[in-house]
Amino acid sequence: MALLDVEGLTKCFGGLKAVSNLSFQVNEGEILGLIGPNGAGKTTVFSLITGFVPPNEGKVLLEGKDIVGLKPYSIAHKGVARTFQIVKPFRKLTVLENVSLAAFLRHSARKEAEAEARRVLERVELIDKAASYASDLTLSEQKRLEIARALATNPKVLLLDEPMGGLNPTEIDHASILVRDICKSGVTIVWVEHVLKAIMNSCHRVIVIHHGEKIADMPPEQIVINPVVIEAYLGKKANSYKKGEPIC
Amino acid sequence: METLVQSLVSGILTGSLYAMIGVGLTIIFGVMRIINMAHGDMVMLGMYSSFWALTLWNIDPFVSIVFWVPVAFLIGMLTYRFLLKKIVPAGELNTLLYTAGLSLFVSNLALLVWTGDYRTIKLDYAVMPLRPFGIAVPIPLAIAFGMAILITALLYWFLVKTDTGRAIRATSQEPMAAALMGVNAAQMEMLTFGLGTALACGAGVLLAPSLYLYPTVGEILVAKCFVIVVLGGLGSVQGAIAGGLLLGVVESLGAVYVSVPYKDAIGFVIFLLVLLFRPSGLFGVGKS
Amino acid sequence: MKKTVLIIIGLIVLGIAPLVVRSPFFVHLMIMVLMWTVLGASWNILGGYAGQVSFGHATFLGAGAYTTMILYLSCGVDPWYGIFIGGIVAVLISLPIGFICFRLRGPYFSLSTLAVAEIVRLVALNWESLTAGPVGLLITTLPQVSFFGKAINWESKVPFYYIIAIITLIALIITYIVSRTRVGAYLLALREDIDSAESIGINTVKARVVALALSAFLAGIAGGFYAMYLRYVDPDAVFSIGLSVEMLFIAVVGGLATVGGPLIGAIVLVTLGESFREHFLSGHLIFYGFFMMLAIRYMPDGVWGRINTLFKKLRLKKDVNHGTA
Ligand SMILES: Nc1ncnc2c1ncn2[C@@H]1O[C@H](COP(=O)(O)OP(=O)(O)OP(=O)(O)O)[C@@H](O)[C@H]1O
Ligand SMILES: [Mg+2]
Repeated sequence: MALLDVEGLTKCFGGLKAVSNLSFQVNEGEILGLIGPNGAGKTTVFSLITGFVPPNEGKVLLEGKDIVGLKPYSIAHKGVARTFQIVKPFRKLTVLENVSLAAFLRHSARKEAEAEARRVLERVELIDKAASYASDLTLSEQKRLEIARALATNPKVLLLDEPMGGLNPTEIDHASILVRDICKSGVTIVWVEHVLKAIMNSCHRVIVIHHGEKIADMPPEQIVINPVVIEAYLGKKANSYKKGEPIC
Repeated sequence: METLVQSLVSGILTGSLYAMIGVGLTIIFGVMRIINMAHGDMVMLGMYSSFWALTLWNIDPFVSIVFWVPVAFLIGMLTYRFLLKKIVPAGELNTLLYTAGLSLFVSNLALLVWTGDYRTIKLDYAVMPLRPFGIAVPIPLAIAFGMAILITALLYWFLVKTDTGRAIRATSQEPMAAALMGVNAAQMEMLTFGLGTALACGAGVLLAPSLYLYPTVGEILVAKCFVIVVLGGLGSVQGAIAGGLLLGVVESLGAVYVSVPYKDAIGFVIFLLVLLFRPSGLFGVGKS
Repeated sequence: MKKTVLIIIGLIVLGIAPLVVRSPFFVHLMIMVLMWTVLGASWNILGGYAGQVSFGHATFLGAGAYTTMILYLSCGVDPWYGIFIGGIVAVLISLPIGFICFRLRGPYFSLSTLAVAEIVRLVALNWESLTAGPVGLLITTLPQVSFFGKAINWESKVPFYYIIAIITLIALIITYIVSRTRVGAYLLALREDIDSAESIGINTVKARVVALALSAFLAGIAGGFYAMYLRYVDPDAVFSIGLSVEMLFIAVVGGLATVGGPLIGAIVLVTLGESFREHFLSGHLIFYGFFMMLAIRYMPDGVWGRINTLFKKLRLKKDVNHGTA
């Protein structure tokens, strides 16, 4: 049984079908890439899975149990954590407080929660900034804080929404290592990213969505030479695009 | 039937003044994204200006408005320049609290210098109401109605037909685009705050002969103002005009057909319903 | 360590103040300061910690005041229970209000609380069978109570002083506990970002309701005390927008989301206001407005926050001096 099983998920915003009859599975222990052009519906998929937005149709099964209709906080309790594409740190709290708050989910004592938060901050290499206010961090640090906060809830599945958006190449390499390291520690990851190179290097499997529909679900090596994917990314010009050449 | 027409008429008369105040609040919100809690106190200051012009210099309110409105415009611009300019970037909530502070300061200063006594303005020609078709129309309210329409129409013309007016509307609708096109946002904000204040103050001058004057009258007026502006959709001028008239009519119908004591509550109940279910206003033109 | 000493000194001063200074005005002033501390603390839990800026807290004050008064007048319930029940009634009233207003965020929440509070005031004004309308309710005598065999003299203000001092301590201790535990941390998260708070497993609806209920309880208790102290209530005395605004100002000027903030805010504003009232008939809230504008412009963390940062700076300087010496 897959850890997370999405079946026929559909979401309309007014007349716009942001996600349309989408099904996919996430297996335990893998890093699943989720890619697609701007506005493809990736963030909406995350919001649907985590209960921030109710779907019009479809199911989301976590270990076989439907979690559609649950509130975001109770989905977090069940072990699904997410990050936000546009970072939403608790700006006027310190980095340590930000992460401790998340650790409260599994530890009710303040001391234990703080100890857990420190461990997580070590892992994402933010421990030096523990006492800084979140609003004083650089974007790269805020993105890592976002991951740290999600991680501190000790999730089974971690949904990462563009953790590398806006980072420079060195920071991107750094972040890739972090993501792989998190996966090795036993957390299953679904990863939305526009930096395809990072996805290709780290993911076990990649799903491509376009206009809310799934157009491919295969290992990364095959994605880059798939004509449908190339067309989705490059539009009509794909016809003139030499087949077989990687898109990134 | 006659009561219905009577209350419709008095509702529309009062509503025109509500509309004028509401338009002032809504253009300030539109351009600056701030909820000006001190707006009602500007109306109060207008009422007292009207009172003192009559008492000290024997100038009729409907004449003194000619100089009070420009004075209020200037005061509004100065208030923006020296008190508000630095606060507005700090966010909606901070400005809300700041203007609440300003409101309390102004109303208590008024209490201090003018005491809490209720005052009224008596005009010789206002003793008997006009009675066209058997409907009582108080003369001062009728004149105020005419002037409110005139001023609101002038403002509307200014916003739609002049370059400055268009720049204000552009800033209100697309702040980014307006800035790119070279509109000076700070200048527009100052101008708008001046205009909003002038409208509030002008309405105060016009209302003075028809209402009791006391320093904290602004509290009730500003609350009504929120109702109007939310009804019409925050930031929408047409919305505020419609909202003002609507509130005037609802109140006067409510006083007749529901109950006098609860007439003020009706406005607030509608206000809550609109906030909850139609946050962009009854006509769906405002910004939620 | 130093803090404990300071707190002990504070408690001693609190305990003997009315015995040392016997001027009735001074005792009255201290009672007002303490009562407004409770109200500021009440507002601070919802507005400071949870970040939900209410313009309608007078509703809870009024609910507590009327409950205590009505129970005493028509059922003969002792005010000591009455004040407590007043707090409970305020909590009960807060629940439907939360249900309506918490659907809105930011300034819209604030405006909705203002509207609800006005509706409540109008209802109180017109529900004459319950509240006696604008005439208000008046009590002439308070029940006989003896303390260590001595009958308490309600004509003196001193007993009231000790009662409100105890209530204030309770309010400050509650705030302290909130600020030190998970609950307080959750409220801060709520203030900062509701979506993020949900995403890490915080039930934000529950957290807001808890904050509101706690806040309403304290305001209700203060309201009950207010009614007994004045021996009179009417809708404008306990339900007016002005009262809501005063609580808010005390909390903001003192320092949002701090334990001592409301106390500092009340000391500064109430002392200025009441002294002003001694000399002038009206307009005593002028300082409230003035300080609010100052605070928003120059001290966004309030007076208390400002004092704290100053102390921190001093300590740093000292440390640096030690280092070089
Ligand atoms: N709350 C909303 N209301 C209306 N439309 C929305 C809403 N959220 C998203 N959309 C629309 O749904 C579509 C999918 O948006 P989504 O944010 O999921 O895309 P995305 O794949 O994450 O894009 P990006 O790569 O830019 O982050 C877009 O057209 C967007 O405008
Ligand atoms: Mg996205």
